Amino acid sequence: MNKGRLLAAFISVATVVFIVIGTFWPGPSAVAYAGGKSLLRPSSTPTAAVENLGDEIRLLAWEKAYSSLGNKAQFTEQEFEHDLTGYYLSLRTYATLESFDVRPLHASNNDAEVQIRLHWSSVVGAFVNTRNLRVVKNGDRWDVDWPLVKKPLVPPQVIAVNYLRWDVIDRGPGDDWGVQDVEAPHVRIVDMHPVQRAEGVVILGELLNEDVVPAYVSVRATLLAKNGSPIASEGSFDKISHILLPKQVTPFLINFPNATLSEVGSVRMGPLSALVSASADPVIEIENQRLNPAPDASLTGQLVNQSGQVVNIAHVLGTFYDKTGQVVWVADQYTDSALLPQSPVPFDVHVPEDLARKISSERTVIATYSVGGFQ
Amino acid sequence: MKRTESVAPSERPIAMGLIVLAALAIHLPLLMMKLPLKSYDANFHIFFASHYVHHWFNPWNAKWYAGFSQATYPPLPQQWVAVISRLIGLDMAYMAVQLAAILLLALGVYRFSKLWVNPRAASFAALASVFLGSESFLVYSAGQLATTSAAPIYLNALPYLFEWVRYGKWRSFLKASVLFTAAAAAHHATLLFGSFFFALPVLALVLLDGRDGDRPEVERTPAPAFVLRTVTIIAIVGAAIAIVLLPFWIALIHYPVTQTPIPHPSRANYILSPQWGLNYFIVPYGALILALPFIAIRGSMVARLRPLLLGFWVAFLIGLGGTTPVAHLLLGRAFEVLTMERFSYWATLLALPFVGLLAAELIDRFRMRAVCALTVAAAFTCALAVAWSTFRPADASNFKVDSVASWLNRDGHDNYRYVTLGFGNKIARLAVLTDASSVDGEWNSGRMLPELTRYGAGALTSSKYFGEPGLDALRAVLRHADRYGLKWVIVRDHYYDPLLKFAGWRQVDDLEDRTITIWSKDGVPPAMPVNAPQIPPHWQGILWGILPFGSSILALLVIFIPDGRRRDRPVDHFLDTHENLVSGSVAS
Repeated sequence: MNKGRLLAAFISVATVVFIVIGTFWPGPSAVAYAGGKSLLRPSSTPTAAVENLGDEIRLLAWEKAYSSLGNKAQFTEQEFEHDLTGYYLSLRTYATLESFDVRPLHASNNDAEVQIRLHWSSVVGAFVNTRNLRVVKNGDRWDVDWPLVKKPLVPPQVIAVNYLRWDVIDRGPGDDWGVQDVEAPHVRIVDMHPVQRAEGVVILGELLNEDVVPAYVSVRATLLAKNGSPIASEGSFDKISHILLPKQVTPFLINFPNATLSEVGSVRMGPLSALVSASADPVIEIENQRLNPAPDASLTGQLVNQSGQVVNIAHVLGTFYDKTGQVVWVADQYTDSALLPQSPVPFDVHVPEDLARKISSERTVIATYSVGGFQ
Repeated sequence: MKRTESVAPSERPIAMGLIVLAALAIHLPLLMMKLPLKSYDANFHIFFASHYVHHWFNPWNAKWYAGFSQATYPPLPQQWVAVISRLIGLDMAYMAVQLAAILLLALGVYRFSKLWVNPRAASFAALASVFLGSESFLVYSAGQLATTSAAPIYLNALPYLFEWVRYGKWRSFLKASVLFTAAAAAHHATLLFGSFFFALPVLALVLLDGRDGDRPEVERTPAPAFVLRTVTIIAIVGAAIAIVLLPFWIALIHYPVTQTPIPHPSRANYILSPQWGLNYFIVPYGALILALPFIAIRGSMVARLRPLLLGFWVAFLIGLGGTTPVAHLLLGRAFEVLTMERFSYWATLLALPFVGLLAAELIDRFRMRAVCALTVAAAFTCALAVAWSTFRPADASNFKVDSVASWLNRDGHDNYRYVTLGFGNKIARLAVLTDASSVDGEWNSGRMLPELTRYGAGALTSSKYFGEPGLDALRAVLRHADRYGLKWVIVRDHYYDPLLKFAGWRQVDDLEDRTITIWSKDGVPPAMPVNAPQIPPHWQGILWGILPFGSSILALLVIFIPDGRRRDRPVDHFLDTHENLVSGSVAS
């Protein structure tokens, strides 16, 4: 064979070999764009079957995911999709599956139980969903039985609404909110203290709306060094309930990553308030609230929407106090499913282990988001 | 074995005038329709150009990222857009520069191809460049003005490089140096990678020339002369580029691109992700895929085509992104920073001499049938790539941002910064129209805000498409709204509403039949200048305003210096000298 033919053969073969390597053993970027897939994972084990299902959910390949299920005759593809993305608009609807972990729980020759932890990213932060899946052998492959949670049905009913509402009349749509020619509502920080945590300094506290009108509130804190110079300035962001009705109290938490409390001489607090329209609706009741001790300390309970409208996302803010009534921690959680009228939705707010023993009481505040609802 | 001669190139090459007319016929109407404005990056280049219109000698642009330096991006095409916009406006100036690049490409491909194949085949290659899928893809879908401007300048420089190293012609040395410098001023990456894919094969060709035993009258280039001339031009061009782009290098050294890599689908495996294979392989290559076996066989069989084949092959493999491990192995971390479609573009340019050769031989053998088939293939390739911007538009929803711009420009709203959500690549168009400053932007390598560089995500306006890193970056920026004077969030995607609501932002206005809402945060102080250490000093602004643009003016001037007596090159008789072709090959 002459040099030219040899070169042509080499280039052709090498190209094919490179493509084969890149396809059967793809790099991280290629795997990410293929939805975590390579060509080397048939559903020949229970774990592989669940991993394939996870990949398809991540790619939003609902048809493919549904057709791979062993118990698909029990529900429709649409029900399967809504079970994961929410029957009503909720945080799940706003979420994308970032990754998932698969853990085999037990297995026999013909069936197995595998746990899948779905790591969702949403616009307000990440959350995790755990499902235990039964996997059944079907010939030389394994099929997943999906544990579908049926759509919650709200019985037809009439709910009387009797709530307070405050309207603010401004100069028109061009009027910048927050610069009205009216006095700002009176708000007061009723508790505040800094604590040192591993991730930095944290300012905890509570803010009270002392006024008779609703207030938009936020809190800003500036750490000052011992010589009075500013170290850092941060705001409460979403670790606060920004709308306070008259006489309502909200906790707040402000993070200063990488700051050290020993370097802080003082803290300058800047509560901010402005007059806004507000409504007491929707009313969210908390049932079966319970503080679970360490280990795995948490605040659990159920939220019940007492109003007639769907609450799409609820934000649970828990304030934890020690025996002297001082705030020792503020923690929060967003519910990942919508709150239908009179339908309980569980919540589980994690509490740091080292602080759990100091907690003797707690209080919970709920902020809500409804599509097209009262702003 | 007796060598089989190809059909002699008895017919004359297609006149360059006709090729230019073909380019005008195809691309002028599309550009007059402003089709590139629908592409990913066209508005980005127009935004940069708009800054040069107002601040020619100040590369610091306060409209994106709360301030960034445009000296982080070679400015030549954008400066030309800025200059021409004085006459015809920014949009049409962009189209004019793009058209000039397309015409220059045809000339560059012709001149480059003549190094490898006979003039007739080179003219077919030049004609093919008009229909090239990758060119239309970059022009109409990607909007890569810099890449499509730099490549033709570079291709036009390469024959001068050959003449300098081969024959030691000083005029060629001067022209090559100036053109290479201008190409770098248009796009630095083209020069960097072009050196490997284009210049090395040309240098190898110099070495191969004169080693043909059948043509003893062709003299060889002495090895010392080859080394001296090569080193000389590398040193001079390197120094020229270092000076012309000095503010760019200073910015790169002081503020290297260390941010977390941002995912790009051109790094996907095109077999595992066929939708990206269609986008980054089928569309840019088009009917050229059918020529791949010919390229491999003819490039291997003919010794003097082998350097070109190897350059093409490496560019081809890298252009396949994550389909093979080659790009990752050769580029290292740069694989996670660069996008791969430009490698496919360069690969197709390197393939064009082969395509010209194939076309010439097919036409010689099959006459009108070949002409018809090639015409259909070329038309299909070009049409698919042009239509791709409609089949898969960069921004699925076409909407105007004029109302948003006028809102920002009135009542002192531009005293504060803003960020858009759900605007896609319209943020560049908005930035052109408004006086207000944003914390977002589309030039990822120019951004300095830690909230943006820490996460592997692109523009904030498309945060959700980057998954968790994108949303983390958005939350980090909103968390520090006070620090950046960020008072306005302009929303066209209600996906983001819950975050704004829970983070304490309030809807204050709406535009365009309530499809766009404006959210505000109370207590935010007016925007103050940030990133002060990154602001280039005045002398750098002066250099930036004079040298890159000046390099292109100089290139235009020196190009008209007569070439002098033309040396007879073996390429003119290429088809008489190709070797080892056997009966039954395409050429037989």
